[in-house]
Amino acid sequence: MKRIDFRAGNLRRIATLAFPVCLLAIGLALVFTQVQRPAALVDVWLPWTEIGILSLTMTAVILCGGIDLSIGSTVALCGVVLGITLQWQWPLAAALAASAGCGLCAGAFNGGLVAIGMSPLVATLATMAFYRGLAMTLSGRERFAGFPESLRSWQSVSGIPLHFFCFAFIALATWILLHHTRLGRWCYAIGDNRTAARFAAVPDRRLDLLLYTFNGAAAALVAVLHAIDENVAIPDAFRGTELQVIACVVVGGTLITGGEGGVLRTLTGIGIVTHLEIGLRFLSYRFPLLTPNSRLVAIGLLVILVAVWNQHLQRSEDSS
Amino acid sequence: MVDTDAPPLLQLHRIRRTFPGVLALDQVSLQLRAGEVHALVGENGAGKSTLINILSGVLQPDAGHVELLGSPVILANPVEARRRGIVAVHQEAELFPTLSVAENMALESGLPTNKLGLIQWRQVETAAATAMSQLGPSWRTDTPAAQLSVAHRQMTQVAAAIEQQVRVLILDEPTSSLSRREADWLFSRIQTLKNAGTGIIYISHRQDEIFQLADRITVLRDGQHIWTRPVESVDPNGLVMAMVGRSVETGQTRSDKPQSSVATAGAPARLRVQSLRSGEANSKSVDLQVAPGEIVGLYGLVGSGRTEFAQTLFGMTPAVDGTIAVDGVSHTIRNPRDALAAKIAYVPEDRLQQGICHHLTVRDNLVLSSLRRWTRHGLASLSKERQTSHESVKLLGVRHRSIEQPISQLSGGNQQKIVVGRWLLTTPQILVLDEPTRGVDIGAKSEIHQILRTLADEGQAILMISSELPEVMAHADRIVVFREGQVSGEFDPSTDSASDVAEAAFPAGSAQRLAEATKTPATNKLPFHVPVAEWGLAFVVVVLTGWLWTTTEGFDPWMQLTHATVWIILGLAASSVIIAGGIDISIGSLLALSAAAAALVLRLDYEPIVTIPAAVLLAATVGIAGGLINGALSLIGRVHPIVVTLGTMTIYRGLVIMLLGGRPATGLPPLFLRLAIDPQSGFRGAVLATAVLVLAVHIWLQHTRSGRHIFALGSSPTAARLVGISGPRTWLLAFAVGGGLAGLAGALQLAMSGQMQSRLGSGWELGAIAVAVIGGVSIQGGRGSVLGVILGALLLRLVTSAIVRWGIAGEQVDLLIGGMILTAVLCDLGWQRIQPRVRVAWSQRNPQ
Repeated sequence: MKRIDFRAGNLRRIATLAFPVCLLAIGLALVFTQVQRPAALVDVWLPWTEIGILSLTMTAVILCGGIDLSIGSTVALCGVVLGITLQWQWPLAAALAASAGCGLCAGAFNGGLVAIGMSPLVATLATMAFYRGLAMTLSGRERFAGFPESLRSWQSVSGIPLHFFCFAFIALATWILLHHTRLGRWCYAIGDNRTAARFAAVPDRRLDLLLYTFNGAAAALVAVLHAIDENVAIPDAFRGTELQVIACVVVGGTLITGGEGGVLRTLTGIGIVTHLEIGLRFLSYRFPLLTPNSRLVAIGLLVILVAVWNQHLQRSEDSS
Repeated sequence: MVDTDAPPLLQLHRIRRTFPGVLALDQVSLQLRAGEVHALVGENGAGKSTLINILSGVLQPDAGHVELLGSPVILANPVEARRRGIVAVHQEAELFPTLSVAENMALESGLPTNKLGLIQWRQVETAAATAMSQLGPSWRTDTPAAQLSVAHRQMTQVAAAIEQQVRVLILDEPTSSLSRREADWLFSRIQTLKNAGTGIIYISHRQDEIFQLADRITVLRDGQHIWTRPVESVDPNGLVMAMVGRSVETGQTRSDKPQSSVATAGAPARLRVQSLRSGEANSKSVDLQVAPGEIVGLYGLVGSGRTEFAQTLFGMTPAVDGTIAVDGVSHTIRNPRDALAAKIAYVPEDRLQQGICHHLTVRDNLVLSSLRRWTRHGLASLSKERQTSHESVKLLGVRHRSIEQPISQLSGGNQQKIVVGRWLLTTPQILVLDEPTRGVDIGAKSEIHQILRTLADEGQAILMISSELPEVMAHADRIVVFREGQVSGEFDPSTDSASDVAEAAFPAGSAQRLAEATKTPATNKLPFHVPVAEWGLAFVVVVLTGWLWTTTEGFDPWMQLTHATVWIILGLAASSVIIAGGIDISIGSLLALSAAAAALVLRLDYEPIVTIPAAVLLAATVGIAGGLINGALSLIGRVHPIVVTLGTMTIYRGLVIMLLGGRPATGLPPLFLRLAIDPQSGFRGAVLATAVLVLAVHIWLQHTRSGRHIFALGSSPTAARLVGISGPRTWLLAFAVGGGLAGLAGALQLAMSGQMQSRLGSGWELGAIAVAVIGGVSIQGGRGSVLGVILGALLLRLVTSAIVRWGIAGEQVDLLIGGMILTAVLCDLGWQRIQPRVRVAWSQRNPQ
């Protein structure tokens, strides 16, 4: 009897892991069967590395039982800060520092609200509007274009876009943080059972503060990357980014309630969402029904399905 | 007085119930006659709670059955038990904290309604007032239950139970927090019920009460029925002996136990606690010393303050007074990390909630508190963790398959060993264990005791909290007894008898109780109950309107109201979901979807007289369907509604764009627009329609059962389940109403703006949530009012139009909305924090 239970549990475990891999295979197949010039994929991937960076740091926040809905607004705000400080003729280094500082502060403010006991959903829903409003107010709805050439020259390092280096760096950093440090261990414990973690002398509130701040820093990085690549900072940009980011995390198999998941899963998730979207976009040349909008719908559906499925798997694992 | 020949009211036949590793009830039979008070006594863990839970339908027996009036019944759930007239009042009263006392009492038996299905509030009030009047006018029936003291919550439950047609009333420690006067009230009620033929099962640790009230007494010990006797043939000493029973034998076998080699009388104290007091109300100061190598047993009943003391020592509830010294060095302990630094370890009492992280591996759970030792420059070393874990599980004798298996796959005893092991890895000097062997099988139990003895022999100071007398008698070097938050005695288990220890733990007779009754404040309610949010808001709205009117040219309050109507309806949509304890951020998209559907119908080439009602109806239907999908998905997946609605938000928005084909829809029938605002006659149909809708929602929320059930569900899902409110149905209803209102708001917006764009309503969900939160709807659920939402919407509208008028750009609306949500939630959070303190301060200033 016990043996059968164990096997069933194992099957479920395999199913959980295999499901995202299958999706990834479908996505990759969609893209690579249709792409005309594989070299062009670099440009297609570029904006997705921005989503990827945000998804990686968001994984840490979600693992710890939180969520950050304000991430898109934070990126927009950091972009505006970068643009406005450069307009004020600040030196480039100072402008970059201001933008980074803005990201850190925005993240820390979210973390602080959560640490004093506000529900992460409500707190970041409010700051989502708040940061967006700040970005709009500071910029007066103006877009900032024409960043200095010294900044633009970083666009690629020996032929490879800076985006990919940053993405790899953040992936490595979050992987080490979550899987090879004390903080990572604490993070999983808090996400699994916050009360027990507190009784085990884990500084949960400090960790909240830290992870949201880290998330804010990643937002600043993305804002700078976006400015380098597009040569423009738009206060109204990155609307709905939080959905794409959460989609990547959830589709990869990280539990939305925390405690289970990891960087490798999120990398899979980023691969899935990216390639499904790109693949569907390629398909839309042949099938006009697949508008950008219906692709968004598809991603929304995918998130709900996977979230429900994963929660279901965990419940049946608990009851076995 | 009791007719012994009549068939018993309630009969339990050989009830058996096991929990993993523990036999909680073994072949227990019990008989309750009509008009009898049957006292159930036993130590903690004797099986009383399990028995009550079986009787009240919370648990199901593994074997045996229950008979009511001679016919077998299956008590599948609490609702079923209540329907058959079996009502249990638990020690921890489950109430709806945000609802009034009167409503709490009425919900127990179902709210009374008239022929129209409206709740008869007058009747609810009268019933509550009658029940309360017998207590004297000690608190108002319209106070929210959250403001009641524990005693009053318990009395409310008893009063509510009495109001019902009860056949069997189960009272679990009903007087544990009552004053003398309140207890006397309870006893007189019990007498009345007895005369009416109700059977009462009475559980208490207070002997005077048992002998005063009971007709018969049943003793349970270790899940077994010891005896049932009429009260006349029982003497107090015999009762204690029957309850603790086994301890006499273990007391004798104790001499075989090897004495601790390190513990000597002259050794300096490893732990010295002086007049330690936590910040909680009614906490008392505690002095305690533990020598190295000594196992001190902290014995006391549940609620005697042992756990509170231990958690204060450990920094979970920081001390406000007193000193803690380890090896003569005094430490300030504000949180568990300070305790860790002071080498104090605490193994919590509730293993599942406070001890283990269920999905993490054995290794992760083991090294959790000592990670600092296995990390260098913050980097963890898996090999070191593994090596340590292997050593630990071997040392503790944990039966496991692998250290990389989830801890939830281990048995209770082995899980407990892991939690002990976690703290041993921190090399503590003082180890505090709270009920270390609760829910642990016999084998693991003795192994844990052995581990503790070995640790003591190595020189650690051990504090073992237990409510099992045999355990402390057999395994402690010294016993400290807790009673009512204080140390009530110290015993040496080798010389003192078990019954002496037990006597020190059980609350004393009435003389002392009376003395205490004068100390406890009779009531700590606020003298007034003001809907702060509503009055404050109304004031702000009036002042702002007046100011804008006088200072701004062309300011038209009537126009402001017209433009606020959409916000009012959308705010109500958000509120109905939030009150039920959910959240729906797809209502902005849902509004657009409904408006798009309505626009398509309106553009059909039919008579407007046909298309307009059809369009409005379709808008509402689309909204309800969308809301139902949101509710159902979060229910099926048990995913937080914000994740579901984040997904459906994009889906609904996508549908809008598909329906419109990316172009704005114009050319709506002029009649439809005139119905909302007629420029010629000045007729404002929008305001009229909103007024009707607002009234309907108000009546639904305040005066119908289903509306109140939404509040009840949001207030406390557990209590809602106990009184038989269907959670899923109520949840779906809340989402459906929310969606329907969003749909109607869409139709209204369409009529007012005259065109439909695919971006319509995007981001409006934030505004709607802001309106709800500003209007005093609690984001935790269970609290809110229609009036508050109206005022919130008006405020938002006024402030928005004010900043536009002052020449500040309109893009600040987002900033404003975000800021308003934050301010409102922070105020709510702050108010909830200070409220208890305000209450305590008030009751101290005005002692009754």
